[in-house]
Amino acid sequence: MELRETFLSALRTLGSHKMRSALTMLGIIIGAGSLVAVMSLIAGLNQSVTAQFQSVGTDIISVSHFPWVQMGDSDEYRNRKRITIHDSDAIASLPSIGLVAPNIHTRRGISYGGESMRRVRVSGTTPEYETIDNYSVESGRFITQFDVERRRQVVVIGSDVSEKLFGFRDPLGKNMQIGGKGFVVIGILDEKGDIFGDSLDEHVIVPFTTFRKAFGSRRSVVVDCQPAAGVPMARAIDDIRALMRIRRQVPRDKPDDFAINTQEDLTASYKQLTGVLYFAMTGIVALALLVGGIGVMNVMLVSVAERTREIGVRKAIGARRRDVTSQFLIESVILTALGGALGIGGGAGLALLVRVATPLPAATTPGAVALAVAFSLITGIVFGVYPAIRAGRLNPIQALSYE
Amino acid sequence: MLIQLEGVTKIYEVGTEKVNALGGVSLSIEKNEYIAIMGPSGSGKSTLMNVIGCLDTPTSGSYCLKGQEVGDLDDDELAEIRSAEIGFVFQTFNLLPRMTAFQNVELPLIYSKAHRRTRAERVWSVMDAVGLRDRAKHRPNELSGGQRQRVAIARALINAPSIILADEPTGNLDSGTGEEIMQVFEGLHKAGNTIILVTHEEYIAEHANRIIRLHDGLIASDERSAGASSPTRPVGSTERA
Repeated sequence: MELRETFLSALRTLGSHKMRSALTMLGIIIGAGSLVAVMSLIAGLNQSVTAQFQSVGTDIISVSHFPWVQMGDSDEYRNRKRITIHDSDAIASLPSIGLVAPNIHTRRGISYGGESMRRVRVSGTTPEYETIDNYSVESGRFITQFDVERRRQVVVIGSDVSEKLFGFRDPLGKNMQIGGKGFVVIGILDEKGDIFGDSLDEHVIVPFTTFRKAFGSRRSVVVDCQPAAGVPMARAIDDIRALMRIRRQVPRDKPDDFAINTQEDLTASYKQLTGVLYFAMTGIVALALLVGGIGVMNVMLVSVAERTREIGVRKAIGARRRDVTSQFLIESVILTALGGALGIGGGAGLALLVRVATPLPAATTPGAVALAVAFSLITGIVFGVYPAIRAGRLNPIQALSYE
Repeated sequence: MLIQLEGVTKIYEVGTEKVNALGGVSLSIEKNEYIAIMGPSGSGKSTLMNVIGCLDTPTSGSYCLKGQEVGDLDDDELAEIRSAEIGFVFQTFNLLPRMTAFQNVELPLIYSKAHRRTRAERVWSVMDAVGLRDRAKHRPNELSGGQRQRVAIARALINAPSIILADEPTGNLDSGTGEEIMQVFEGLHKAGNTIILVTHEEYIAEHANRIIRLHDGLIASDERSAGASSPTRPVGSTERA
């Protein structure tokens, strides 16, 4: 029997049981729909997170006391030796390293006039920080070498600080308080956005030397750097690791007691997180499709029983086993394909709604659609095969005398 | 020789009991014969029809259709023989309710893999033969009993089979309509078809020119009646030229 005829006949049959077909499809619709919706949301999340990671700087190597993503025992991290400005200088002298910006951080209350903000991130660093960490100045200027050498009481402020403390006034040249000490505002940073919900713009930056004098010099230093021009990331990282292990006298058989963070690490741990999400989702979808598939099988078995006589007639007038089997198999596949299509439409619609109504740029990828299509078709085949084979094997005489 | 049965038996197992439906039937049928198979219920006439119609195979004995032994064919080979050689007409019509008359008639052509372009032409020609061209787009439930049976006959004819097997074709029709259907068979016979009719009605059987009576799975009598070969009344508009 021609495929086209089988297809048309299957559509006719499903059309004559609209309610039953619709209910049967529901499981598949939900399965395929949630698959597409969740994958679209994850794709959107990926996109926004990637954008956030870009704001960190793509070729940054950040040598620090703590890894960006901490796992396991935090006591072990706390007891580590500090990283010092001498480590930073040593890293700067490596030929494979280009720019280096040592930086230290604290949180302090800040104020200007009647306005104040609590626990604002205060960083002390050098001019190279602007390039390495992807900052740009909206007005005024960044910290200079001169500021660092002279330990000047100057500050570059983030856009949120500018907005909240100064409002419509121009902050440049104003004298503000950071942790009870006076600083002159010399620059305002461009907006940087959020990372994991934490504003990067509630931030003030002062010269490294000034920071140490004002807020203490015993803090562990973070060394942000870039590979020298033409040096691959991996080589620069290897050089830093070797240098730091020697400087910190790490025994050969012990792991590093410092962290070399890159944007790639951040991306990797994020991917690990979404990997878990994907895994959980796959389980849910598999379950939904299993339930849907059982529904399909049930309805197909009912359909075979109901149409026993029809099967007998078809066989009497020349249908072979495979004609009957393929007819029922195509019916179940159409059922799940249609359910899949509706589910994909629903899931994509939901994603579109999220995209329009929320900041999350949810996007339905062709991969998600292909996966949902594949899942639906496979469900139709897997759960349709048994009823279809049963239909094909019916004895024509018994089928014809079936009441 | 179109059909040759030699010592055909059919034994069904019902639970532990064995039922001898056919106890050794030998029979030969020539092309263009018009045969009625008669017998009380349980005489084996349905089983014989199933065997001749290749819906079932004999337990023992030999059944040759157009020189081919049918007994050792598998399911699909039997289906192909049914498709090419047999046209069934049932007591309850057995049309597929969701399809139009046209689609019902076309169905055997789809199973015999006739090309789509030639199909419509052939459907129209058999619809004309049974006088139902104007009912082609109707579904079975929009047709009268007689019209339904004509559609079924058209479906049986569509692959130009060697044998038309009709099982009580007038059993569900009033006598007037039944007579009309018998006229259709008459016409088909005159046009050269081989017809085997299963019935328990004497007056229906009398349309045939050979009556085989079965009793307890055996042929009790096999008579030819010369008179029945010429119709007693003019054939209606349904006759093929």
